[in-house]
Amino acid sequence: MSVLELFKALQSSAFGRFVGGLDHLFCAVLELGHIAGMILLLASVLLTSLNLLGLGLRSVPLTEIQRSTRKLFWTGLTLLVVSGLLIFIPAATSYYSNDFFWAKFILLGLALLVYFTLYRWVAARDSNQIWLAKATGGLALSLWLGVAFAGRFIGFFA
Amino acid sequence: MSLVEFAQLLNDSEFGTALRESVYMFPLIEGLHLIGLAVALGLLFFVDLRLLGLFLPQLPVGQVLHPLRPWLLGGFLIIFATGILLFVATAAKIITLPVFFYKLGFIALAGINALWFELKWGRDVGHWGNESTLPVAVRFAGFTSLTLWSLVVIAGRLIPYLSYQ
Repeated sequence: MSVLELFKALQSSAFGRFVGGLDHLFCAVLELGHIAGMILLLASVLLTSLNLLGLGLRSVPLTEIQRSTRKLFWTGLTLLVVSGLLIFIPAATSYYSNDFFWAKFILLGLALLVYFTLYRWVAARDSNQIWLAKATGGLALSLWLGVAFAGRFIGFFA
Repeated sequence: MSLVEFAQLLNDSEFGTALRESVYMFPLIEGLHLIGLAVALGLLFFVDLRLLGLFLPQLPVGQVLHPLRPWLLGGFLIIFATGILLFVATAAKIITLPVFFYKLGFIALAGINALWFELKWGRDVGHWGNESTLPVAVRFAGFTSLTLWSLVVIAGRLIPYLSYQ
C-alpha cells in the first residue's frame, strides 16, 4: 500500500469519518490542545537549550533543569501527538501534496533523533566540553523551532 | 473617525494589502507570532509555576525571575510587533469580532497583574523569595497570570477560526 492509499484509507475509515463529522468547535478545541502542547514542549526545550548554551537559568545544573522539565516535555508531546492525529486523520489526503507537511515531519524526525541521542547524552553529563553542549543546544532548539514554523506554514498552503 | 473606519483604513492601506496578499510574508509573521508566544508564555509559565511552588521549589525566586526576564521581554516584544502587523493586515475583519476585544481585555488584565506583582513584590524578591512556600498574594499572582494568559491564547486562537466563518 502506498502512502497516498494509506492516507485515503485513514480518511475514509469509520473513525476518520466520525472525527470529520464532529462539530467545528471540536476542531477549535483540538487546535487549542495543539497550541497548549506546543507551549509546554517548546518552553521545556528552550529552558534546557538555553542552559546548554550557557544562557537562561545558568545557576541551575543542567541535570536539574532536565529533570524538572521532563514531565512538561512529555505532557506537551503527548498533547501534540493526540491532537495532531485527530486534526490529520479526517483530512489526511489534503496534506499529501503539501510540501510543508513533509518538511515538518522530516524536521520532527531529526528533532526527536537529536533529542534521544545527542541531547540526552550531553544532558546526562554536567561536565561537558562547552562547544559540544552549545552545538547540541543550538541544534535542538533550531530543529524544534523549525518544526513549529513548518507546522504553521502547512495551513497556509493547503 | 470611528474605530471601524480606522480599521478599514489600515486594512485597505498599501502596506496592509501587501501583507495580506503576500504568499510568504503573512505566514512568516504568523510563525514568528507563534514562536514568540512559545518563548514568552512558555517561560512565563515556568515563573508562574515557581511562584506556585511547583517548579524548582528549592530555587530562590529571584534566580528564576532575573535570568529569564530578558528572554520574556524579548518574546513579548516579538509577539506585540508581529501582532500589530497581523492586525493591520486583517483589521477590517478582526475589528468586527467580539473575541478580539476579549483578547485585548485579558491582555490588559494580565498586564495589570504583572505590574502589581512587579511593584509590590518583584523589587524586593530577595526578602521573601527564598522559601519554597511563598506568600498567598504571590501565589495568587502566579495563578492569575497562568489563567489570564491561557485565556489570551484561547481568545487569540479563536480569532482566525471565527474570521473564516
